[in-house]
Amino acid sequence: MEKILLNNNVNLIFKSAKNTPRVALTCFVNIDKQESVPGIYSILNRLFLQGTKKRTAEQIAYEIEKNGLDFYSEMKSDYWKFSLLCLKEDFEVAVEILADIMQNSTLENFEKEVVKFKGETLASLDSPTVLARDKFVEALYKEHQYGHSSVVILENIDKILPSDVWDAYNTVFKPAEKVFSVVGDIDKNEVQSVLEKHFVELSSTKRQSSIDSAKLDEKRIVKIVKDDANQAQIYQGWFVPGIKSKESAALSVLNTILGSSGLSSRLFLELRDKKGLAYTVRSMYTKARHNSDFRVYIATEPKNIKVSLEGFKIEIDKLKSELVSDKELFDAKNNIIGKIQFITETNLQQSSTFGSYEMEELGYDYLEKWLEEIKSVTSKDIMEITQKYFNDNYVLAILAPEKYLSEV
Amino acid sequence: MESWYIMIYKNKEEITYPYLTKPVEVYTMPSGHKIVLAHKEGGLVNISTWVKTGSVNEDDNINGISHFLEHLMFKGTHKHKAGEFDKTLEAYGAIVNAATWKDYTFYYVTLPKGPNNKYFNEAIELHADMMLDPLLPEDELGEPFEFGKTEPSQKRERLVVIEEIRMRKDQPFTRVYNALNNAMYTKHPYKRDVIGTPEIIASIPQSVVMDYYKKFYTPNNMTTVVVGEFDSEKVLEKVAREFDFKDRLNYVIAEKEPDIPHKSMQYVELKGQLNTGFMMFGYLGPKADDLKSVVALDIVNMVLGDGVSSRLYQRLIENAEEKIFNHVSSDCYQFRDGGNFLIDANFDPNKKEKALTLLKGELENILKEEISSEELTKAKKKLKVAYASTSETVSDIADNIGFYMTVLGDLKPASEYLDITEKITAQEVLNIARNYLDLNKLTVSVMLPE
Repeated sequence: MEKILLNNNVNLIFKSAKNTPRVALTCFVNIDKQESVPGIYSILNRLFLQGTKKRTAEQIAYEIEKNGLDFYSEMKSDYWKFSLLCLKEDFEVAVEILADIMQNSTLENFEKEVVKFKGETLASLDSPTVLARDKFVEALYKEHQYGHSSVVILENIDKILPSDVWDAYNTVFKPAEKVFSVVGDIDKNEVQSVLEKHFVELSSTKRQSSIDSAKLDEKRIVKIVKDDANQAQIYQGWFVPGIKSKESAALSVLNTILGSSGLSSRLFLELRDKKGLAYTVRSMYTKARHNSDFRVYIATEPKNIKVSLEGFKIEIDKLKSELVSDKELFDAKNNIIGKIQFITETNLQQSSTFGSYEMEELGYDYLEKWLEEIKSVTSKDIMEITQKYFNDNYVLAILAPEKYLSEV
Repeated sequence: MESWYIMIYKNKEEITYPYLTKPVEVYTMPSGHKIVLAHKEGGLVNISTWVKTGSVNEDDNINGISHFLEHLMFKGTHKHKAGEFDKTLEAYGAIVNAATWKDYTFYYVTLPKGPNNKYFNEAIELHADMMLDPLLPEDELGEPFEFGKTEPSQKRERLVVIEEIRMRKDQPFTRVYNALNNAMYTKHPYKRDVIGTPEIIASIPQSVVMDYYKKFYTPNNMTTVVVGEFDSEKVLEKVAREFDFKDRLNYVIAEKEPDIPHKSMQYVELKGQLNTGFMMFGYLGPKADDLKSVVALDIVNMVLGDGVSSRLYQRLIENAEEKIFNHVSSDCYQFRDGGNFLIDANFDPNKKEKALTLLKGELENILKEEISSEELTKAKKKLKVAYASTSETVSDIADNIGFYMTVLGDLKPASEYLDITEKITAQEVLNIARNYLDLNKLTVSVMLPE
């Protein structure tokens, strides 16, 4: 794996992967300014596929699929992310289409995309899990960009003008810092020359971010009434440090012990196996640049809301008061070390992982350093971070039929 | 000198498999158990065992038993108590799980091989032990109870599965699909929802579940697939040793007659607390081993509703004269006794009739004339790439091999599929589409806001 500075000042992370059928390319475009109205960046992301100076929306869709390309354009917390997967023989065709989309977009069909967004979002919110998560995120991050949930965007989308999207494209997207990452059974020089040939107009500038962190200095409870729900959806979350913190490794180990390690985590064993409360119960450590959070989640029969919340509390209190055993700590670390191979199994996973580390200024080869940090975590570290961050300043979002919400 | 296992396997085939660097080895053991070894470079291995039973072998009294058994298989053996299997392997970074569908149930472990294959070998031992010696302990099931009438004294795995059923009842598309599935079939067991009902799961006795296990989990009904970078001889020897069925007798599952499509369109409608409308169209399709028909309908699927350049997306969403659909796509499912061709859509509930008319119109168009040569070329390329994409991880390779071995009983169709795709013509696609996708054979399921 190596880093190459392309002649357009964009860094390319390249790794050769022999005997793999498809080449993966990921491009990250940094977001360093908060959107003025919730939804501008999401609409911009959608409009990339709605036409360029050379191609209509229909032609873009047709050419992507005619060449058998997997193409994804995503709006993430801290960047836009474009991902491509193609057979080696289609690499230049794929890059040419991506370059056209990123450099020559005409951002047409604004109204149509707004209408489509509204419809798709309403449909997704028909899932109780999605609705509960959306309201949880909104309550956790409030006015911060990370709190621009689907519901918040729906409430604001009619305030967005086409000029707002153009402004975001010209002042945020175009000058933003960018990183390419390519992994596949393909020659490095070919990758470099194809990217330099087609991304002539692309620029990349490292700028100071004007986005602040969100604050959580109170308890926030959100109740979502859904009278025909068969299960209550419960999210509880706290702010915790992110990937650049020294405590990040300990939080990752804690997450594995508490609820992210498949069938053997504490929440799974206690709330699912022993109490039969749920099919799905887990914890999540969600890392982003300006704020990170630690969540616990359960979907359970509505009459079990109270006992589930008590179950969360019991498990967290146990971690605050009792040191994790050496065996449990060793197993959790080993679980993370083993899982690294899963998150880097495919070329796309690798290009995405290496590129995101580079984008976050951790260095494309950060994975090895992170593993060392994981190995150094102690039981005392786990106890200390639990005591420090799992306090009364949290967000609790519960979706259930109304009669079950009164007891919360 | 040859190893002992070479002397005892009954048959060995080497089958070229798309996008893998070495042929896949398929061994049939004297017991009838099949062992399949596939080479994929990298540090991860996948071990899975596929059993030829799912909801297809259930009736109204035991609907959901295959899936319930799948949960209970993790609840301990004579050698390892409940939870030990997961705990040991997850400490190595493994992903451990299982799934039940209509034709099969499969159990898998994906994990790093570990120093000197330590994790790999231990995973084979634990996996084989779980497959051959499940105790299904009463205290892990919890006592039987009458769902909705009595409270269970022990809240154990029965309750977990009942929560899974509750979860699915809150998923609009799952409800629409289940109603469609039930209406599409008349008598075939595919008609039933794989997960069963809370009433059955609450009350089914342990002995019935154990009897089901003993009946279907026989050597001839099981295929163990191992995918990764390893010494084939050593792994074959290890798997063969660990899968010691002793004197377990085989059970041959009787063939079932495929269902006959309805003679006129069927329609079902549900209500829920929703913002939008959900709709599914469904047809009975060809048997999974009718490869040419399967390929033809896969091509129709690509042209009609797979991706943003498909007819449905372009005509009904991107270039729609009136905003009706939020989502529309098509899909094909393969089953041994006949698959399904499906269209699913989310739409403005005030425009249900228009939505129905537009979808039927696109089906009529596809049956009217041959797809264009451009559409055919694009569909073939997409199918080829889709195949490449299932060769990227040890888990995907294992899933594909397991499917072919269990549902078709043979791995050769995996590569024949691509040959047929290459050769099939637009006229052949049209003829096959006309045979299966007649509007009189259509079933429609709709869910609307209350």
